[in-house]
Amino acid sequence: MTTPPPCRAAGAFRQLAGFLSFCVFLLAVAVSARADDSAATRQLLCKAIQSEGDEQLKIIASLADSNSDLVRKVLVAWPNDGVFLIDAGDGTKIPVMLEDAQDADGKQKAVRIDTGDYLKDATGKPEAFFANDLDSVDSDFRLKKVIKNTLELMTLNDPDAETRRSVVMKLGMTQNPAYVPVLQARVAKESNPMVRTALNDAIAIIQLKDPNPAVQIPAIEHLGSVTLIASRDVLTAVVQDPASTADEVKAARQSLSMIEAHIARVDFFGTLFRGLSLGSILLVVALGLAITFGLMGVINMAHGELIAVGAYTCYVVENVFGSGLWLSPFGFSFHIPGLNRVGWQFQTYFIFAIPAAFLMSALVGILLEVTVIRFLYRRPLESLLATWGVSLILQQTFHLVFGAANVQVDSPSWLSGNFTISDVILGYNRLFVIGFAVVIVFLTWLLLTRTPLGLLIRAVMQNRNMAACMGVRTEKVNMLTFAFGSGLAGLAGAFLSQIGNVGPNLGQNYIVDAFMTVVVGGVGNLFGTVYSALGIGTIDEILQQVFGSPVVGKITVLVCIILFLQWRPSGLFATKGRGLES
Amino acid sequence: MQKKISSWEILAVLLCSVVALVVIPCLNAFVPETSALHISNFSINLWGRYFCYAVVAISVDLLWGYTGLLSLGQCLYFALGGYMMGMYLMRMIGSLGQYHMPIPDFLVFLGWTRLPVFWKPFASFPFALMMVVLLPGALAYVFGFLAFRSRIRGVYFSILTQALTYAACLLFFRNNILMGGNNGFTDFKYMLGYDTRSASTQRGLYIISGVFLLLVYIFCKWLTGTKLGKVQRAIRDSENRVLFSGYAAGNFKLFIFVVASVIAGLAGALYVPQVGIINPGEMSTQNSLEAIVWVAVGGRGTLVGPIIGAIFVNAFKSWATEAYPDYWPIFLGGMFLLVVLFLPGGIVGLVGHIVNLFKRRGQPPVSSSDTYAPTASKPPTAPAVTGAPLPPK
Repeated sequence: MTTPPPCRAAGAFRQLAGFLSFCVFLLAVAVSARADDSAATRQLLCKAIQSEGDEQLKIIASLADSNSDLVRKVLVAWPNDGVFLIDAGDGTKIPVMLEDAQDADGKQKAVRIDTGDYLKDATGKPEAFFANDLDSVDSDFRLKKVIKNTLELMTLNDPDAETRRSVVMKLGMTQNPAYVPVLQARVAKESNPMVRTALNDAIAIIQLKDPNPAVQIPAIEHLGSVTLIASRDVLTAVVQDPASTADEVKAARQSLSMIEAHIARVDFFGTLFRGLSLGSILLVVALGLAITFGLMGVINMAHGELIAVGAYTCYVVENVFGSGLWLSPFGFSFHIPGLNRVGWQFQTYFIFAIPAAFLMSALVGILLEVTVIRFLYRRPLESLLATWGVSLILQQTFHLVFGAANVQVDSPSWLSGNFTISDVILGYNRLFVIGFAVVIVFLTWLLLTRTPLGLLIRAVMQNRNMAACMGVRTEKVNMLTFAFGSGLAGLAGAFLSQIGNVGPNLGQNYIVDAFMTVVVGGVGNLFGTVYSALGIGTIDEILQQVFGSPVVGKITVLVCIILFLQWRPSGLFATKGRGLES
Repeated sequence: MQKKISSWEILAVLLCSVVALVVIPCLNAFVPETSALHISNFSINLWGRYFCYAVVAISVDLLWGYTGLLSLGQCLYFALGGYMMGMYLMRMIGSLGQYHMPIPDFLVFLGWTRLPVFWKPFASFPFALMMVVLLPGALAYVFGFLAFRSRIRGVYFSILTQALTYAACLLFFRNNILMGGNNGFTDFKYMLGYDTRSASTQRGLYIISGVFLLLVYIFCKWLTGTKLGKVQRAIRDSENRVLFSGYAAGNFKLFIFVVASVIAGLAGALYVPQVGIINPGEMSTQNSLEAIVWVAVGGRGTLVGPIIGAIFVNAFKSWATEAYPDYWPIFLGGMFLLVVLFLPGGIVGLVGHIVNLFKRRGQPPVSSSDTYAPTASKPPTAPAVTGAPLPPK
């Protein structure tokens, strides 16, 4: 896993705060960067501020090419009454903006737009003003619109490619022919292929309005060939427009059908991807159960609470890394000095949380095995009841320690966000869970088949008495197996804490699904669990799409499972044995 | 062969019935409130509910203690019975609801102006009563038929019943099945023309619940004493041997499963007018498991055990949720652990144990074939019997 760059903001809250401060920051940068802006631009700005009517609008529109931070800053401030005119004393007026910093009285220094220097008094000292005392430059509706427009065009020069792309699409969707030359000029300069594609698409969308069929039809065909989903509405408009010629309608219909086919493909792959990731979540949750229930035959109803232990461990680690942990029932806050991390160091907490969650759940599992389950290996129904008792106790303990409300665990920035391949959105956390599932299935398989411990585990699970006769310390092996299964539950919890809130009942939401997954897969067969988890996840996701409601989808899945077990009572991969009592 | 019922038992049941069904209602109705002997309406209502719980506990025991089927969904049938009665009670509200419309309030809220078709017949009490029996019975029959046909047993059966209950619970939380959604049914007014909120109706319901409990007790006593009861216990102890002896174990299990569900459904129907509300929360797995706690605590494999357990645990719950609301789940879980690990026979088993200690006969705690003997339920080693390697457990 790569270490994220230090400048990335952490967590949603920090992002919001970051955004707000970014606006302020923009202004500050503009002021400090005044040396870069040529005098000509400054003169043009001053002229724009002090002129009137159409001339003013024309000057402002011409500023779009300037690519100057100062212009951006002034145009942002202007409609918000942030540009002022100060009487110079000789009848002329000086356009100024106020600096952000306030002095002790709440006054702000004024920066001259024409020179970039502070406005000075007679003695040469910078003069400070109250914003309320000054006359701000007015802006009417028309002016505001032009300013907004100019700013958008200026964004075409934004250093961030994603910002450029989004503004290009926005300009395209206006279908205003005036933008075509601007966009075409930009195509020549644009180096980023993604933005260049967007530019071409935007030009094509605008050209749909072109009266000349020679321009319009290639545009329609272009949109069809790139299967731009966003252009569906405008193409539909072309089809419905009575002024369209037959050729145009035909071309538009063809493009539309290509786009529809593309949408169907995107939906299909999107559903497949979501199903795969849902299946992976199920798999991560059920794998631990496949060990304790499938291999050991112990019905652990507290498995869900072991998942919650993992999730809460993640929460604790996150808080210890961050601002400290407040534990209400004990009335103190806990944090390790020097660990009050921000930035990328905080982002690494999850890497530490994963093993911590595994160990914590494994420890709780060992405790559970030694005190309760050990006595109930021959009484599966009773182990179900006893562990349910344990689950109640654990739930209430979470409730008392962490409070009844759900707690939020901030995902590290490298787990939030997504990227898009051909319009299919792939979330990082969904990708992560798929990879995570692959890794832990592989490790589990490795442990069970390629290590001495795995050999002992399989021996004890196949025939406990015989293994004991051969000198295997079955009690110890049982304990370790159970601890391993519990640890896997902890890993599941660590992951679940990243995709939702953590509450005392977290495990309850997954326990029924997890049991179903193991039963469908075939008890005692790890790969059965893999197939059934992926299968159930995908079918669940598809049914959710079909019925348009997660609950109905879920109910259907449960009913399907009950019916499936009619057909294969011992699951997909039944363990073959000639014994009747199994 | 029917086991002889001891005269002690008849005497004890008679005594309890007279106290519960005659003396206590009289103390509630005729003794002035100022008197120390007066029993409050609240207590009457509470005990009426306990009786319903006890009936559910008997139905769980019929399955678990006598047949070895641990159903984690008994509350589903209880709640279904309750919902059917609730539909009748909702119809009886008539136009007295908040919206003063002839249809239940929640339907008005959902934008309905006319009654949905399946709500129509519920104005008739006999129809509602029929549905109370039919719906849980039919569901149990279909589910049981499918489950027992494919020989789903043991923990798999438990997990499947849990899944079914979970699915039903999710379903009833939805508004568009027109069963009240999240809030369920409440604000009942009249039942057969009697005001459900009045003390006398509640007293009547209490007596009906008590009589029903008594009838269920007698019925189960009779049922478990017949040959069918013997097969039932044989299935519990070794289903394969029953199969080899030529009995269709599945059909016996199906019969018991349906009977237990109908009993639970009737208990639910009696329960709803007493608490005045029914919502999907009644179907949660937690409730079904609580019913299992009652049986485990009281003593499974006996008919007195579930009654004692239901009343004891619920009385304890009433006290604990008031005195230590934060710790009640811990008490409940701890009680469960304690009983499972140390007291497999529950309270009844403990009493039997103590009695035997006094008698010094050196016999196992409760000697009759009634009691569930966990350690004897399965032969510990299978290879010698089956001649094949043990499949992984």
